[in-house]
Amino acid sequence: MKMKLLGALGTMALALTASTAYAEYPERPINMVIPYGAGGATDISARTIAEPLGTAVGKPLVMSNVTGAGGATGSVVVQNAKPDGYTMLFARVGSHSVSPAMKDTLPYTLDDFRFVTVYEINPVACAVSPSSGINSMDELIAKVNEGGVSYSSSGVGSLLHLAGAMVLNEYGVEDPLTAATHIPQKGGGEAATAVLNGTATFICTNTSALASFVANGQLKPILVTTAEPVAGFDAPTSADEGKPALEKLVGWTGIAGPADLPDDVAAKWGEWMGQAAGDQNFVDQMTKRGSVINVMTPEDANTFIQEQYESFRALVDELGMRIKG
Amino acid sequence: MSMIDSLLAGLSLVSNVYAFLALFGGIIIGVIGGAIPGMSATMAVALTLPFTFALQPITGILLLLGVYKGGIFGGSIPAILIKTPGTPASSATILDGYPLAEKGEAGRALGMALWASCTADLISNLALILFAGWLASFALSFGPPEFFALILFSLTIIAGVSGDSLLRGALSALMGLLLATIGLDLVYGTNRFTFGSPNMMGGLNFIAVLIGLFAIPEIIAMVWNPTAHIGKTRKLGKNWVTFEDYKNSFKSIVRGSFIGVFLGSIPGIGAAPSAFLSYSEARRKSPNKKNFGKGEIEGVAAAEAGNNGVAGATLIPLLALGVPGDVITAIILGAFMIHGLQPGPMMFVLNVDIIYGLFIGLIVSSIFLFLVGSVAIRGFKYVADVPKRILIPGVLVLCIFGVFAVNNNIFDVGVMFAMGWLGYFMMRNSIPAAPFLIAFILGPLLEDNFRQSMLMSGTDFTILFRGPITWFFWAATIITIIAIVRSTIAGRVKTTPQ
Repeated sequence: MKMKLLGALGTMALALTASTAYAEYPERPINMVIPYGAGGATDISARTIAEPLGTAVGKPLVMSNVTGAGGATGSVVVQNAKPDGYTMLFARVGSHSVSPAMKDTLPYTLDDFRFVTVYEINPVACAVSPSSGINSMDELIAKVNEGGVSYSSSGVGSLLHLAGAMVLNEYGVEDPLTAATHIPQKGGGEAATAVLNGTATFICTNTSALASFVANGQLKPILVTTAEPVAGFDAPTSADEGKPALEKLVGWTGIAGPADLPDDVAAKWGEWMGQAAGDQNFVDQMTKRGSVINVMTPEDANTFIQEQYESFRALVDELGMRIKG
Repeated sequence: MSMIDSLLAGLSLVSNVYAFLALFGGIIIGVIGGAIPGMSATMAVALTLPFTFALQPITGILLLLGVYKGGIFGGSIPAILIKTPGTPASSATILDGYPLAEKGEAGRALGMALWASCTADLISNLALILFAGWLASFALSFGPPEFFALILFSLTIIAGVSGDSLLRGALSALMGLLLATIGLDLVYGTNRFTFGSPNMMGGLNFIAVLIGLFAIPEIIAMVWNPTAHIGKTRKLGKNWVTFEDYKNSFKSIVRGSFIGVFLGSIPGIGAAPSAFLSYSEARRKSPNKKNFGKGEIEGVAAAEAGNNGVAGATLIPLLALGVPGDVITAIILGAFMIHGLQPGPMMFVLNVDIIYGLFIGLIVSSIFLFLVGSVAIRGFKYVADVPKRILIPGVLVLCIFGVFAVNNNIFDVGVMFAMGWLGYFMMRNSIPAAPFLIAFILGPLLEDNFRQSMLMSGTDFTILFRGPITWFFWAATIITIIAIVRSTIAGRVKTTPQ
């Protein structure tokens, strides 16, 4: 009886795989892994695009948050998934460019993934508390040289962690790791709060995470790392400051599959993303949160991430920030 | 604009049928979501979020608040009926709620949970409306050193939930602390006790540990001895909560509500520690101290007041500062932003109508919660009548499903079973599980805040005593420890044979 059942199941499984090979992709719902918790920047971004994207795909997208270890736990799920295009990942700057550049302990590298798109860019800004008396980057650097300056981040290997060190480095601070103290927090919200309550002196993070604090006058922006100014942020840009290298310092969200994802699947995703990002509702909601919608083709996305990764990696090696064990 | 004007502007915003329908619907979704183990209030709120995009801002936010409040209460239903907390905040409710259900007084426990929840909810909402500005500025004076002192004090709860033997309680807490160290080191980003497994890098999943520790041992015990329960009546019972019960527990409910308001207004603590703190305070003050943990109705009241007291207060840092206190308020913050609203001091100037609209909605939500909760209890009461031999396999399926659904990770289910065997071992040796859980929640917070303090000061320990708030909690800790030592010694003298 048992054997019969197993046999039947086996035949069914075979039939299913056989039909997968011939049928048009996608013929069943697609699992979308969000490697960060509910309510975070990645989660909201993913769930916002899921609506128009689901329409473009024509099959349901099953969104699941697999959280832990700064995005690593969820990324590993997709790394080890079958490269059939039915398990895809919402990749983020932290999990797929800063962490790989910084952590030798990570269970994956960039080569384990194939990106099908990057659809959202988040400018980065640095801010201080108004009560700190700091009004510009130069004043901050002067304070750093006096000593006792610290910056907060959402954890080791996050964009915020690297951003703080990178900005100080660009402004000519020698050995930024010892000149300023990095105080990691448990998440992005906590990192901003740490500057509000005086635990840390400054923070460099996505403008969307700072927008409401800046609008309310609780935090004072002193630098925007894009070349273009950001609405609502009355601060010099990297172009104003003559630091073009800082333009690499942006957040992004993209979609990736396992490394061996077939070309036709990647091409399909390129098509769907073009349709989804044309949705006015989606664009409105994302721009309201301070994102720039910029859908990249699979090729552009790979180049963009690789370049950011290389420049971060060079910086990590220069400053000796690598985490080894 | 005077307060009356603001109030009227707010009233005009919420005085349409949709706002109240959304709130009411939200509470229903929340109670059901909270009552499903593993689903948790957080997930219910996250799943509702996309539906608010198309709604008016105030309607959408009231919907989410309804889910939040309903979810925190809903979690107590499975905690009492099947010893499985539906949401982490209701783990303290198990301590006395489940023993009451075993005695055939599930209805009374559920009723008390509802009354305590609604009372605490109301107090919490009033605190938000009246003291938001003041409490928010107080919350901002909490840096890592203040947190460290507060959490150190909170660890004294362990003595309150250790049951008869403080030593066994401490052993349980030590195990909790040990397992909480698994995962990434906060400051160095290195792996701790992960044994090379990516699954362990995120640490042990909290809900898997929670369900494994409380629900699974019951199931293992049932497998071990399938006929142990026969002859015991386990029914919802005719006993309903009486006004007398409510009056007797009223002090604990109010105390728990204020503990909830206090801990809720400080970002980063959450509802579970508040429920435990409220419970242990109620036990300490109660003349029926001995009965706590064996089915004391006041214990249920205190735990539920403690966790629902947080629900309104977490909105204080959110509205007044724009700072989310926990994951749920982070999601609600996302909803504000999607509607182009930026919570913070300026919102009280620019969107005062929305603020007052929310306040009106919140007050009404306590009443709605009472209505929905009463119906839900009647609906779920049949669970208590299901024979144990049928109920227990169902609970097992629910636990596996719930734990898997949290992270869609089969590894978590393994963690749950491993914790289940540990819990069973602890149960057989009368080692209480609650201290384990408290240590598991608070241990990492204690460590992180300690290390952040050390980073701030350059390893100067005096930062831990930097201001009145730290002094207060250090003094409270010392006084509590002295009290525990004295009562333990007194207890030993009493029990020593003459």
